Amino acid sequence: MFFRMLKQSLFRGRRRKALAVATIALSATLITALMNIAIGVGDRMSREMKSYGANINVVPKGEALHLEIGGVDYNPLKGLVFLNEADLPRIKEIFWHNNIIGFAPFLEKSVEIARPGKKHVRLIGTNFNRPAHITGDEDFRSSVKTVFPYWQVKGAWPRDEEASGLLAGAALARELNLKAGDAITVKPPGRGGLEQVFTVTGILATGGREEDVLVAPLHVVQLLAGLEGKVKSVSVSALTVPEDRLSRRARADADSLDSMEYDRWYCTAYVGSITHQIEEAIPNATARPIWQVAAGEGAVVNKIQLLMAVVTLAAFIASGLGISSLMVTTIMERAKEIGLMKALGAADWEIYLLFLSEAALLGAAGGMLGCVAGAGLSRVIGLSIFGTIVPISPIVIPVNIVVSVLIALSGSLLPSRLITKLYPAEVLHGRR
Amino acid sequence: MVGDKGRAMTKRAMFLRILFKSLSVRKNRVFITFFSIMTGASIITALSCVYFDISAKMSRELRAYGANFFLGPASASGSRTLDARTVEEAIRMVPSEKLAGASPYVYGMVRLDLGNAVLAGVDFRGLRRLSPYWQVEGKWISVDFDDEACLIGKSLAKNMELKVGDRVNVIGTETGFQKSLTIKGVAETGQAEDEQIFVNLSLAGKFLGMEGKVNHAMLSIVAEGTDIDGLAVQMGRKFPGLEARAIRKISHSEGKILEKIKGLMAIIAVIILVITTLCVMTTLIAVVSERTREIGLMKAIGAGDRDIVLQFLAEALIIGMSGVAAGLLSGFLLAQVLGRAVFGSAIAFRMIALPMIMAPLVAASLLAAALPVRMAVKIVPAQVLKEE
Repeated sequence: MFFRMLKQSLFRGRRRKALAVATIALSATLITALMNIAIGVGDRMSREMKSYGANINVVPKGEALHLEIGGVDYNPLKGLVFLNEADLPRIKEIFWHNNIIGFAPFLEKSVEIARPGKKHVRLIGTNFNRPAHITGDEDFRSSVKTVFPYWQVKGAWPRDEEASGLLAGAALARELNLKAGDAITVKPPGRGGLEQVFTVTGILATGGREEDVLVAPLHVVQLLAGLEGKVKSVSVSALTVPEDRLSRRARADADSLDSMEYDRWYCTAYVGSITHQIEEAIPNATARPIWQVAAGEGAVVNKIQLLMAVVTLAAFIASGLGISSLMVTTIMERAKEIGLMKALGAADWEIYLLFLSEAALLGAAGGMLGCVAGAGLSRVIGLSIFGTIVPISPIVIPVNIVVSVLIALSGSLLPSRLITKLYPAEVLHGRR
Repeated sequence: MVGDKGRAMTKRAMFLRILFKSLSVRKNRVFITFFSIMTGASIITALSCVYFDISAKMSRELRAYGANFFLGPASASGSRTLDARTVEEAIRMVPSEKLAGASPYVYGMVRLDLGNAVLAGVDFRGLRRLSPYWQVEGKWISVDFDDEACLIGKSLAKNMELKVGDRVNVIGTETGFQKSLTIKGVAETGQAEDEQIFVNLSLAGKFLGMEGKVNHAMLSIVAEGTDIDGLAVQMGRKFPGLEARAIRKISHSEGKILEKIKGLMAIIAVIILVITTLCVMTTLIAVVSERTREIGLMKAIGAGDRDIVLQFLAEALIIGMSGVAAGLLSGFLLAQVLGRAVFGSAIAFRMIALPMIMAPLVAASLLAAALPVRMAVKIVPAQVLKEE
């Protein structure tokens, strides 16, 4: 009897029910999409944040202090320790290797520009776009362009294979009146030393100290400095999660973590655990977070995540209220029917059961429809904002269906109570 | 003539009476309609308020990345230093509500107990706001005139075997000025600061013999769009000895990030707008369509199609407008809650948000009323009235 009534009640007022399902589905779509974006936004935004440049700097252990003021070095004896270039692919082989977006090695050499006045400048060697020979990721390239996306070159980037191209910093180029295509002769400082002719392929603008230097392919600088296979530092761009209490504790005193906390710290992409793993992978290296980028990113990503969470919550509450008010109307208009049922001897709990199970069915149907539509919607959002698909978090689907059902149920509870309180005689008579 | 006029008047009186009655007698339904429009309007209001304020808010948040503006001696002047007063004046050119933090810097070589180090003189209060990303173990120096304390970079501290609370003798290599300082904190940035020791500006002047001089200044300016480059040009013009420029790494990336965030908020706001409007509409359709019988009755006693449509639209308009008005108010409050929760500051209301909120909701309530009424107008009264 109950099932027959349920079935009939569902199929008789088909238009009304379709409307309820549509509303629930719309709200569920909204919540699914927002929840999905809220969960995925941290990851996406931290990828966007990579435009601020490297967040980890790897230098040789035991390197002497820099005594450098305004580009003038007061401690020329430093720089006797180096990293081996052959070790660098190991950066991409750590536990969090998928989070390493890119790395760029650097080697610096002071040179003289052979022209009247013998200008001393620094020549920096790095990789512009060079295969990094990573096992398992053959396409990975070591490139300064991925690590420092804000470097802007007027002209062309030099090619790594060629030994004659270099970039001139914008400030230096202004001073020396250089432009793309000019030739420049460079030699090591002091007497003797081989002169070498380069072509300036482009002018580099960064807004930083790179504007005062020449930038050439790494192996050229290695050759010039007599340091084949050595690099001075490596800038690494890694995807990280914002700092929290655990990572702060690990930084202050790593020994205070018990083994479970340590595992959790090690297996979370904190900037601290990634630097730790890089130090493990490369002998004699110190990896340091560049806090300007790492902490700034954490602060901003946290804000955006919070914003999305709060917006999702607000949308959640609003759609909950919307669905409730709809349920109130759909139930209240059935007062007559209920009066008849009661007159025929239906108990209150039977009426509750009828309405609540109907609401649950509607909620489940709407929730499922909404999940499908929401998944599509979050795909569209991901593609249009971040250019990649925001993956569907599996948690969203059950949460959403359960929530839709709960909202529909709680929305029906109040009007069901009102309606069961009515006197059958009054309702049937037309007064209520 | 008189009869016509009288009929028109009774018709209008009737119209108003039905309108009034249907609003006052069916309080339940009216309330539900009002309520659903209000919730819809408040979420849309809140979201659009947040959307129009998001760039301003986020560009303040992005100041977490530190300085985005540099002031130094113009390369043409040949000097490596600037007059401290000129720098102060230049900093004052930035409106105070736009200036997140600023500090002049003066650098020089000093001798510590175990070797040489680079000493930097800064304005600590400004520096703290300028570079919130510094990881300081121990304490920041909070007063500008603290002549007894210093901050020390992490690598330097390690090399010199110093820790928080230690005392260190600092001697200016060129002036011979000597003083013993307490280390209040050890700072870590991962950059050049790790190898420097920081004291306040006036003390640094004594150590380095550069009182009243600074090497450069860093500013952190809240800037939406490109007005930061305009500021650089203005400053350069006003102080010819000064080179003012935006720090490209920060300002360029900031623009890109802001664009992304704005885009994200925009698309979310639009989605919420559309879906909420649809939700409101379905609720309204449900409310209106249960009145088919009433329409049948009205038609049976001689109401024209036009009268009925007008009647329902007027009703929808009244409820819709008052719902939207209440929604605007509560939505603005909701936006404040959002702003407090996320950004810790209030969210401004912009007039441009108003039409964005009003238009879709009023349209939705009219459309929602019109659709079922149009269907109802087509029906034959006798059929509806007979049907149970």
